Formats: sequence, structure tokens, C-alpha cells
Amino acid sequence: MKGRRIGITALVPPEVVYACGCRALDLNNLVPESMVRPEDKLCAWSAVWRELLLRREVEVDALVVVAGGDCYTSLVDAQRVELAGIPAHHFIYPFSGDIRLMREQVEALAEFLGELEHEVMDEVAELKAMALRVHEMRSRGELGSRDGFLIEVSASDLMGSPARYREALENLGEVDVSYEHRIALLGVPPIYSDFHEVLAELGMHVVFDEMPYEFIRHTGRSMAEVARSYARYTFALHLRRRLEFLRKQLRRHRAEAAVHFHQYACHHSLEEPLLRGLCRELRIPYLSIEADLPGRTPEQVRLRLEAFAERLGEES
Amino acid sequence: MIVGVDVGSRTAKAAYLEDGEYSFRVVETAKWRTLLGGRAAEAATGYFRKHVPAELRVTEITTAIHGTRRLLGEVVDVIVDIGGQDTKVIDVRENGFRMNDKCSAGTGAFLELIAKQFGVALEELGGLHLLATRAPEINSTCSVFAQSEVVSRLVEGYSVEEVVRGVHLAFARRIAQMVPEHAQKVALIGGVARNSGVVEALREVLGAEVLVPEEPQVVNAVGAVEYYLRRKSG
Repeated sequence: MKGRRIGITALVPPEVVYACGCRALDLNNLVPESMVRPEDKLCAWSAVWRELLLRREVEVDALVVVAGGDCYTSLVDAQRVELAGIPAHHFIYPFSGDIRLMREQVEALAEFLGELEHEVMDEVAELKAMALRVHEMRSRGELGSRDGFLIEVSASDLMGSPARYREALENLGEVDVSYEHRIALLGVPPIYSDFHEVLAELGMHVVFDEMPYEFIRHTGRSMAEVARSYARYTFALHLRRRLEFLRKQLRRHRAEAAVHFHQYACHHSLEEPLLRGLCRELRIPYLSIEADLPGRTPEQVRLRLEAFAERLGEES
Repeated sequence: MIVGVDVGSRTAKAAYLEDGEYSFRVVETAKWRTLLGGRAAEAATGYFRKHVPAELRVTEITTAIHGTRRLLGEVVDVIVDIGGQDTKVIDVRENGFRMNDKCSAGTGAFLELIAKQFGVALEELGGLHLLATRAPEINSTCSVFAQSEVVSRLVEGYSVEEVVRGVHLAFARRIAQMVPEHAQKVALIGGVARNSGVVEALREVLGAEVLVPEEPQVVNAVGAVEYYLRRKSG
């Protein structure tokens, strides 16, 4: 598959995709701006990329989806794509976080994609270390919410090539962001294309994006290291592990409030009471937003965010 | 004089505070300018607040809290604000809020459709409810499906009054899905709160104390004024 374009859904380790001589395209990154409205759907994320592929609006040579431990609707949507003639591979996170099982998954992925070249892994690990520094810049208020988010979320496919991602990282300028509140965004990334801008307009600076942060914190310079790191991807593990991780991150990032973003018909919506409980324990206000179709942030959601900002203003 | 206006989807409301006393006016949304008499408001709220010249703008979620506190003179656990196009449930204790932002079930628009179906004025629904001593089960709160269910119950022999009572109970159950379980003291505000049938149905379904301010429709306009005063006093 050398040189082939592989459609992926986060979080498939891009280290392995590039090390096998392929190019990664995170199909989820196309969804927020998409005008596709699938007729049959549960979660809009997987239904939209499925339609983009079935209608050949996006061309890929093969598809690799996370179909266990994190996302479940992809399991069927990827099979529909496969039955339409695009080779597909299902990447499944072990719920237990078992490193040996994780190693089997990354080995199977490499086998599906082709031969490994470990030098590329070194480069990706270096880029992710740079992205982690960018993350800290955003947390210190030296980078806007949206710019920081785009860098983190783009780590899932490295913008189609490590060189392009390096360029994006190197071209970031330091700015002085003025804001009123430090916000943690929990759950899946927003399906609304302007969500971070809307928060910024309301004085809410996102210092921690849960899932995009996972995109930059996992890496490795060998298959063993990749397996060890990705086995700690908490979005796919027992909720106890994820809650522990979030408790630490909310404290470390000095989050003053949390916005929990989840999708209609996604099993992650059931986590709402636990995340609400975590925020109650940490004494930080919590707002839950359930979204469905992509697009710009709807007026009703803006209203809720605005009211949330007002409440934070009254409490501070 | 301090003026707070609430321009919603169906009506525009103004609260005027002068010498410590409030007075109110309510007009159709399109006539909101008449509430201001050529001046800017001190504070504006409601769906169209961004169109209103005002010193500050604030969401109706925040004004509901401030307005309810002022008009009821006490703090409640939860505020249910039933408007023309949406319903907001504000959890005052937990600092949370929910909205039905996907369909019109559980909003004033739903009751408007039902009133139209019976050929009665919206204001008459409460009186009809109180005349009924039993109610048929209405399962659907979807505005469209409920209409066919209403016809079915009438065909089965239930009276208009009884069906209205059944509709109000279904409406209250829809609202109750959004109300947190810990709610013991609930304030009901917004135009629909003037419908005594809905108030009674909510009391029955929630099993909680349901308080209605004397002027439920202008709570957010009052809340806008109160919020303005709070901001000004630092």
C-alpha cells in the first residue's frame, strides 16, 4: 500500500500509517464543514464520512476505523464502505488496556498497510513533542483556543504528511490571549465548525480539549512503544481510568468550568452523570451539550453557552 | 426609570422600575419598539435581545433566576420557563439548565396547536381542564401525533374538557423529563404559567411544590432590570 491514501478515524496511530509508507486522512476532520446529510444514521460523525466515501466525494485507497473501545457506529459504517469496494480494516482497542493485546492490534494494522520503516516513527514522535509544547502555550494563554485546537486535532493524521504538520507547528506565532474563564472541553471534539470561536467570543478560553489532547500525548518510536502508549488511551478504557485521568487534567490545567460535548445516538452520552459528578466533586460548573448534525453552532446552543458564561461571571 | 425588555418569539414584555415600584407592559413581538418610547432600554433579554438598543444584554436563563427571586421573594430549586417556542429548565441549585431545543413538544406552540384543534382560545384551556374529573391517557407529546390521538380519544367518548386535561398531563410529563429529581420547590414562569390546567398537571406529575409568580409572563423583563442593578452595584 506504499504511497496510498488511507482514510482513518481517530484514534488510529498515525505513526504506524506513515511508517508503512502510507498517507493518513482523518475522515472525521472533514465532517464539521460537510453539507452531507445522511438518510440513515445514528452518530453523525461516522454516517457523514461513510456517505462521503460511498458517494466518492472523498477518494481513499483503504479505510481503517476504530470500531471497538471508543466508537461503535463505525463498526457497521465501515463494513458498508467495505462492501462497496473499499478495503477496510477494523482497529479495536482492548478495554482492559492490556499492552500485549494492544501490540497485536498495531501489528495487525501494520500487516494490513504494508512494510514498516521505523525512522518515520522517530519523526512523528518529535512532532508530537512539539505539539505538546504548543498545548502548554495555549494553556498559558499564549495561543488562541481555535489555533491550539486545530494543531491538536490535526495530530490524528498529521495533515496528510509529517512535513505539512511540521510547517503548521513552526508557523504558529505567540499571541497574548485575553479571556475571562479557563474551560475544559470534555468528550468528543465539537461537530460544530466554529465552536471554539464562539467560546472565545464569550470570554471562555479552552485550555484542555480532552480527545485532541489524546491525539498528541500518545506516540512511540517502535511498535512496542506505540502499543504501550496507546494502551493508555483513556477514551477506550474503563471509565474509572478515564475519570482518574480527567480529574488530574482538570486540576493541572486549572479549569474553572467544563463543557461536555457529546453526540446524539452515541454511547458516550451515557457518561454524562459521571462527568457531571466529577465536576461537582471538583467544584467546577459543568455544561452538557448534545449535538447531532454538523455545521455552525446553532442559536439554541449559543444561548446556553452565553448563559453559562454569565453564570461563571456572577460566580467569579 | 430603569427599563428591562424581554423580546421573545411570540410577545415582547417590558418592566419599568420607578421609585422602587414595577409596572409592566406586554405587546406582540413585532411591536416591541412601542415598549421603549424612543429610548434605549437599560437591559434587554429574550430571543431577539440582540436587536434591541440596550446598555446591556443578558440571556433569559440568567434573567429567569434574578426575576424569579425578586417576584417570589424566595429561592427555588428549579425554574421551568415555558415560552412560545422553547422550554428551559434551570437547575438553580446545581447551576445547570436544559432546553428542549429539538422540537416543539413541551412548549407553548404545542398548546397553541391543541387550542386551535378544539377551536378555543389558548386562554380557555385552563378553565376547561378544571371542569374535568377524569382524563384519558395521551401518550404522544409530539405536536403532530398528539393531534391524532386527541381525535381518537374524542371518538372514544371522552369530553373536550377531559381530553384537555389529558393533554395537559401529557404536556407536564414531557416537562418533567427535563426536571431534576431533587426538585422540591419549582417556579413556573412564562406565558404558559397563566394556564391553571398546566400548573395543576405539573403539581400532580412532579409531586413538588409549584410556585407561580403573580405576573409569570414578565419575570424575565424584571430579571433584566434586577441583573442590571446588580451589575451596576458591582
